[in-house]
Amino acid sequence: MAAFVQLVILGLLAGGVYVAVGVGFGLVWGVLNIVNLAHGALVIVGGYITWQLFTAFGLDPFLTLPVDAVALFVLGYALQRGVINRIIRAPLLFTFLLTFGVNLVIVNILLLIFGSDFRSVTPTYSGQGFELGGIVIPYVRLASLGAAILLSAGLAFLLSRTRIGLSIHAIAADRDAAQLVGIDLRHAYAVTYGLGAACAGVAGGLIAMIQAITPTAGEPYTLQAFVVVILGGLGRVSATVVGGLAFGLVEAFGQSIPGSGSVFANAIAFGLMVLVLVTRPQGLMGRLR
Amino acid sequence: MSAAVSPQLELRGVTKRFGGVAAVDGVSFEVAKGDIVGIIGPNGAGKTTLLNCISGTQRLDRGDIRLNGSSIAGISPHRVAKLGIGRTFQIVKPFGSMTVRENAAIGALFGSAQARRGVAGAFALADEVLELVGLRAKADHPVSALTIPDRKRLEVARAVATRPQLLLLDEVMAGLNNVEVDDALDMVRAVHATGVTVLLIEHVMRVIVGVCRRAIVLDFGHVLAQGEPEVVLRDERVIQAYLGERYAKRLKS
Repeated sequence: MAAFVQLVILGLLAGGVYVAVGVGFGLVWGVLNIVNLAHGALVIVGGYITWQLFTAFGLDPFLTLPVDAVALFVLGYALQRGVINRIIRAPLLFTFLLTFGVNLVIVNILLLIFGSDFRSVTPTYSGQGFELGGIVIPYVRLASLGAAILLSAGLAFLLSRTRIGLSIHAIAADRDAAQLVGIDLRHAYAVTYGLGAACAGVAGGLIAMIQAITPTAGEPYTLQAFVVVILGGLGRVSATVVGGLAFGLVEAFGQSIPGSGSVFANAIAFGLMVLVLVTRPQGLMGRLR
Repeated sequence: MSAAVSPQLELRGVTKRFGGVAAVDGVSFEVAKGDIVGIIGPNGAGKTTLLNCISGTQRLDRGDIRLNGSSIAGISPHRVAKLGIGRTFQIVKPFGSMTVRENAAIGALFGSAQARRGVAGAFALADEVLELVGLRAKADHPVSALTIPDRKRLEVARAVATRPQLLLLDEVMAGLNNVEVDDALDMVRAVHATGVTVLLIEHVMRVIVGVCRRAIVLDFGHVLAQGEPEVVLRDERVIQAYLGERYAKRLKS
């Protein structure tokens, strides 16, 4: 029983990172209809910013998260405005090709700047934790879950309560009508992608505290973001939160099967995705449109 | 009070081609501030294309469109909206994931300079506008729960919430029954009474005669006739365009 509880808690804690990775990806997919293959690369950019600020200035990694968000927002805005806007109405395949190309460019720029060594962010409290009823809870994991929930809540608030958020809803619902009430589509697209990138940056900062990163470490996160968003359901931040936590749980239980290791965990996670697509294509929390 | 010095909207030789076909061909007319003008014409006459040109969703091939004396040809649609031209679609395009109030509020949040006043203000303006078009009681309904006439009202509400000086209505009466048309006519009159200039496309003759002070008849992209609705509708060329030569002759004899 204690082992079960421990698995649930570890799963939820691990899920925090998946929530952070998923929300930005889901926003870009839901609003712009772009499956952003550069998402993992943006995550890693955030990771390197956190690493750089931590090693160069000794800044607490959690304090670097807002810097990640702002820097990645600017990068994402510029990317969308300058590059991706050109194919916004093109068939899905073009968006795959272009975002995959962007992914390659970002990864190689990172390789040029930082090389291919493993980098990790290890503040004094990393590896420490507290015990709660016989279960060890690592500080970093708990705080990163909190940060991911805060990030999601902030994004949900922005989307539902602010002028820019309502314009994002409007362009998602009907682009033609949106521009005829005075919404600048190219700007709104770029803000949407910028917000998605900002979330990716925060996720990267969290990931850098949990595992060592290299420029090529982002690819699994693109894939995981995809699964998380499908699990939860497209179109709502809260759905992605559920999807991310579910993914963390499934992974934790998958890894606990004796002799399975992480390969088996992935198989279970993707198996679950297929199962969800077959039985509930709108996702666990999604609404049919 | 209707005759202003420079017309609010002025089209000069507006031409739009699709391949070899000129959907709109050398159309010129003026709309005075505060006027209410109807554009009629058979299917394919170029009415919607003309509205698309004015609202900036389609680029002109030739000619010029002026709003209060300055050219708006080639300006992107969101800028045209901010300059104060509101627009509805014949096939309604509500923001389906939102409530009725949110739909109208989007118009108020963006729209023209007169509309912008923050999120809370936008929702207040949205409620005013919903009252005007008769949707106040359904403000919290999701769009999917609305009937077709109500969706058309919402389309108008969202455009009115942008606080336009000129409102383009694309067949807001199409598909409505007689009673519903009467209600919609009252709504158009109410909107016009707030001081908005209205340019509307309509198929239903009753609408043109009922609310418009002036009618412009389009046929194959040309202006066939313009003037007072009663006069224009008796014009032989207009009857011919609508009903064919044989009926025009029969009516005459």
